[in-house]
Amino acid sequence: MMDRHTTTEELLAVRDGEGTAWSKDHAATCEACAAELFRLEQVRAQLKALPVMAPPRDRWPHIASAFKDERRARLLSGATGLLAAAGLAALVFIAVRPAGGDKASEAAALDRAMARSQALEQTLSALSPETRALPGDAAAAVAELEDRLARIDARLNDPRSWQGNPGQAAQLWQERSGVLSALVDVHVTRVAQAGL
Amino acid sequence: MTDTIPLAEARSLVARARAGDIGALEQLYRAYEAGVYTLARRLTRTAEDAEDVLQETFLEVCRSLKSWRGEGSLWGWVRTIAASKALMRYRREKVRATEVLDDELTVGAAKEDVPLRLDLEAAMTRLPERTRAVVWMHDVEGYTHEEIAELMGMTTSFSKSQLARAHQKLRRWLEGAVT
Repeated sequence: MMDRHTTTEELLAVRDGEGTAWSKDHAATCEACAAELFRLEQVRAQLKALPVMAPPRDRWPHIASAFKDERRARLLSGATGLLAAAGLAALVFIAVRPAGGDKASEAAALDRAMARSQALEQTLSALSPETRALPGDAAAAVAELEDRLARIDARLNDPRSWQGNPGQAAQLWQERSGVLSALVDVHVTRVAQAGL
Repeated sequence: MTDTIPLAEARSLVARARAGDIGALEQLYRAYEAGVYTLARRLTRTAEDAEDVLQETFLEVCRSLKSWRGEGSLWGWVRTIAASKALMRYRREKVRATEVLDDELTVGAAKEDVPLRLDLEAAMTRLPERTRAVVWMHDVEGYTHEEIAELMGMTTSFSKSQLARAHQKLRRWLEGAVT
C-alpha cells in the first residue's frame, strides 16, 4: 500500500474514468483527495457553463466573397485543363486513326460530343446555378450529378485513361454531355417553377 | 456546444451547399459561427486571432463539404476543422514554442494589478495560450490527450502534465492565493 496522496494528474485520470485501481481506491477513502476530486469535477462543470461568445463583426460577407473568388478560379482552371484534354484527344485520335470509314465516323462522333459538351456548359453557366436555392431533392440530385461530372473530368484530364483507345475519349465526352444535359434540365425546371 | 442542426436537416443543407447554393452555406455559417468563434477565442490569444480562425474555418468548410459523409455530427466535423486551424497557429508561430506554464510570461508586468481572487473566466485568461488550449480541448470539448497531442504536434504526456499544472494554478487563483 502506498503511503501518499494522489497527484493532480492521477486525480484527473480518475475524474475522466481512466485512473489506476490504486488511485480510484485512494480517492474513495481519503477525505482530502475525495474533496479535491470533487473540486476538479466542479471546475470542469463551471468551464462548460461559461457563456458562448459572438464574433464582434459579421465575417460572412468576407467568407462568401473569398469562396466565390476561389470557385471562379477553380472553374476557370478546370475549363482550361479540359480544353487541353480536348486538344490532346483530337491529336491522339488523328495520329492513331487508320484509314477507314468506321474511324472517320468515330472522329466525327468525338467532334460532336465535344461541341455538345461545350454548348451545354455555356447554357449551364448562363443559368447561374449558384444564385438559386434548390429544394432538398433537387439539391441532392445536383450534388450527385456534379460528383459524376468531377469523376468524368478527372478521367478526361488524365490522358492515360483513354490515350490508347480513341473511342474511349469520345465515350467520355458523350457521358459528360449527358450529365451536363441533366444538370441543365434541373436548373431550367427550377427557373420555370420560380417564374410561376 | 451541442449540434443545433438535426442530422437529416444537416444532410439536406450540405447537399444544397454542395450544389452551389450560397444561401445554404450561409445557414451553416449562422448555425455554427458562435460555436466556432468561442472555441477559437479559447484557443487563441486575441479576438483578432479568433476572427481569423473563424474565417479560415468556414472557407475550409465551404471547400471541403464533399468530404463530410453525412454519417457523424456536422458540428463535430466543423469543430475539428476549427480546432485544427487554431492549433496550427502554434506550429506556425515558432516564437511561442518556448512558452511554458512555469514561465508566467503572460502575467508579467501586470502582476500587481491582478485581484486577490479571480473568477474562472479571468483565471483562464491568465493561463498561457497553449496551456489554456489543452484545458479547453480536454475539459470542455472532450478531446482525449492522444487527440490533443496529435493536433498540437506534442506528446500525450505533455498534454497530461499541462492539464494537471493548469488545474493546480486555477485552484490557487480561484481560492484567492494569487502567486
